[in-house]
Amino acid sequence: MRRHIVLVLAVALVMALMGGVAVAQQPKYGGIWKDALGANPPHLDPVFATDTTSAEVGYQIFETLVGLSPEGEVIPLLAESWEVHDGGTRFVFNLRKGVRFHATTEGGTPTANGGREVTAHDWVWSFNYICSPETNSPRAYFVDMIKGYDDYVAGKADRLAGVTALDDYTLQIETSYPFAPFIQVLTYNTFVVLPKEDIEKWGTADFNFHPVGTGPFKFEQWLQDEKIVLSRNENYWMKDEYGNQLPYLDGIEFRIIVDYTIEYTEYKLGNIFQSYVDTPYYEEAKSGAVGQFFERPQMGTYYYGFNVELEPFTDKRVRQAFNYAIDRETLIDIVLEGRASPAKGVLPPGMFGYNPDLEGYDFNPEKAKQLLAEAGYPNGLEVTLQYNTNLGHKRLAEALQAQFAMIGVKLNLRNVDWGVHLDTVERGEVPFFRMGWVVDYPDPDNFLYVLLHSDNIGPQGNYSRFNNPDFDALTEGARLEGDTEVRRHLYQLAEKIVVEEAPWLFIYHYVDHSLVKDFVKGYELPAFGQYTNKFTKVWLDQ
Amino acid sequence: MGRYVVRRLVGAIPVFVGVIVVVFILTTMVPGDPARIMAGQAGNPETIARIRKEMGLDDPLHIQMWNFFKSAVTFNLGRSYRNNMDVNEAILGRFPATLKLAVAGMVIAIVLGMTSGIISAVKQYSILDYSSMLLALVGISAPSFWIGLLFIYLFCVTLRWIPGTGTGNGEFVYLILPALTLGIRPAALIARMTRSSMLEVIRQDYIRTAWAKGLGARTVVLKHALKNAMIPVVTIVGVQMASLLSGVVLIEQVFQWPGVGRLFVEALTYRDFPIIRGEVLFLAGLFIISNLLVDLSYALFDPRIRYD
Repeated sequence: MRRHIVLVLAVALVMALMGGVAVAQQPKYGGIWKDALGANPPHLDPVFATDTTSAEVGYQIFETLVGLSPEGEVIPLLAESWEVHDGGTRFVFNLRKGVRFHATTEGGTPTANGGREVTAHDWVWSFNYICSPETNSPRAYFVDMIKGYDDYVAGKADRLAGVTALDDYTLQIETSYPFAPFIQVLTYNTFVVLPKEDIEKWGTADFNFHPVGTGPFKFEQWLQDEKIVLSRNENYWMKDEYGNQLPYLDGIEFRIIVDYTIEYTEYKLGNIFQSYVDTPYYEEAKSGAVGQFFERPQMGTYYYGFNVELEPFTDKRVRQAFNYAIDRETLIDIVLEGRASPAKGVLPPGMFGYNPDLEGYDFNPEKAKQLLAEAGYPNGLEVTLQYNTNLGHKRLAEALQAQFAMIGVKLNLRNVDWGVHLDTVERGEVPFFRMGWVVDYPDPDNFLYVLLHSDNIGPQGNYSRFNNPDFDALTEGARLEGDTEVRRHLYQLAEKIVVEEAPWLFIYHYVDHSLVKDFVKGYELPAFGQYTNKFTKVWLDQ
Repeated sequence: MGRYVVRRLVGAIPVFVGVIVVVFILTTMVPGDPARIMAGQAGNPETIARIRKEMGLDDPLHIQMWNFFKSAVTFNLGRSYRNNMDVNEAILGRFPATLKLAVAGMVIAIVLGMTSGIISAVKQYSILDYSSMLLALVGISAPSFWIGLLFIYLFCVTLRWIPGTGTGNGEFVYLILPALTLGIRPAALIARMTRSSMLEVIRQDYIRTAWAKGLGARTVVLKHALKNAMIPVVTIVGVQMASLLSGVVLIEQVFQWPGVGRLFVEALTYRDFPIIRGEVLFLAGLFIISNLLVDLSYALFDPRIRYD
């Protein structure tokens, strides 16, 4: 009997070890990662990129000082570590040694920089180049708190006073005031290190078509509207936990596929290895029958904005009534197949400062009717919602039309293309409009200050033209506050004001989805969404 | 004939000027500020102002118009607002893909359309006539993007005869479905035109004479009748070719074909005025040349036509 027990235990041990071996399967080198891009990206040069499609490619070619973990936390990237001094106004970055710019590109052509090592002087040059008024980067203003920024942009200084190289591997950035989320801002894909020689070789306009960075993949080819091809950076600095050189893949081929139906079809045909999952395919994808299904909350919020300067939304009770009139859960279940989480306020779950106890608005048509009556609309009212042309926005707007009808609100729908939508909404001409926001950097500042502070009324992001001095004071205070818990508290107070004042119809927080072939290993869906994914550790078990 | 060509080309100048004026006015009137679109959501007003200045959008309209006129005449249409690419490079880079698709579509349209048109005319009121005209009606009525999606579902997903959309690495197989989809509508038009034109011709005396002389059916139909029935068909082919070159937008979208149609849609979405204006001028030029070639080809089919 005892021998039998020993034998069983021995077999179990061997099996466990075999299982362990299976879990710790060694990654394989080689293969091309085939993926889709939802549009022909306008800018492979990150200095000009403002859209997610451009960022998706840019993340493979370029690198920032600090990066984001899949969970959305700030992690070291080209800076190994950093210290904050002088009350949060001086940041000293200890740079990683051995990081090199791409030595070759586009079929083995040597780059102008020759694959030299990146030093702090390159970072100084890059920050100066990005913030230069001649470059005119649309996102340079994200770092307008750097000391000397205003003078430099106005042409009163020939360089950014606040960015200096202390030695080859130490970079110092000084800000004019203690901007608490400064490190988070540096994760944004514009603030990368750039090779001066290659930019000078091509010029600002043409560098877009010949990008050179330090990232895990090098630029090879861009066939407009067709595909973008990247190849493995053989000199990449990062290694895996076994000491193997990264990346594992030989390259990436991004096909430009502008339709979700076609993208999903191409995925099923095996022509691409990853696909976005649109609503009609959600159930099939979720079943696991067609690949590995990934789902995680994304740091973004979908909302309808009320222009608080235009009738009838000047009255808070009307805005609150609209918020009480919608059944978010049903809406999400029916229209989005449950692919989102209902929004009680502005900040999405997972974001620092998110308040799980925030009260928000329940579905309460009676209360909505009562508020409308108090506001002088006992028989309801008629309003027009403007949204940018898109099938998903249309489905949701039509569902809301029915819900608003229950409280006597006749909702007319007007769809316009994105250019007209953005323009008219920013000018404050539209009383009721669709909008959505996915964060640029992981901090509530990028939601609350950018989208609702009175300084940002208009094109800067406050399209509702919300203007509340208490809210302004709280978000301003939180920007400068160094204590994390105090900041959290300030943001939660600020968000409470927003919910009470209801400049938005809070609808849902995004949930991102991705469907990946079973032979793909090492894939993770980041909290910021698939577009921020880096394929450094992805490998193909084929 | 040389003088005729020169006269037609000179006559095209006012048409071009008209196109320049109209396209400028339309693009100026359309709502939506390209600088704001470029700056993205939550754009900085100072940056937007700098972009506007860089694009020349702050200049008075007559200056903008004059600049555009100069750039159009010198074929230097500037750079795309969206990605800084040279406009000529952007259009000419994508045009081969569109041309390839349009030519393939037109070959399919001519072969299918003329064959069924001739058979319908020769076998009037037969089952072949009715069925080919019914198919032609379907071809004209059904939206091409819908036919395209059906083809993808049938030939790519279900039967797996075609590997997918896009252009692959330039393999011929990728051209089949978009070309077939594109060719269906002009094929239907050509079939109807060929049928009616042939019916008119085969009732004429000289055809009766040809039959009476004991000529074979192939000679009578293809040599005597078809040649004279070709003029209206050639007109349709010419107009359809120009339409195919300019109107492949939906097909390019469905089959992810990297041509000028997709570029145009993208440019409209982002108010990329240099690309929009460049494409309109380019397509206007194509229409003019295509119409001229059609007019010149008439003499090949009817020697009575002279270009004086």
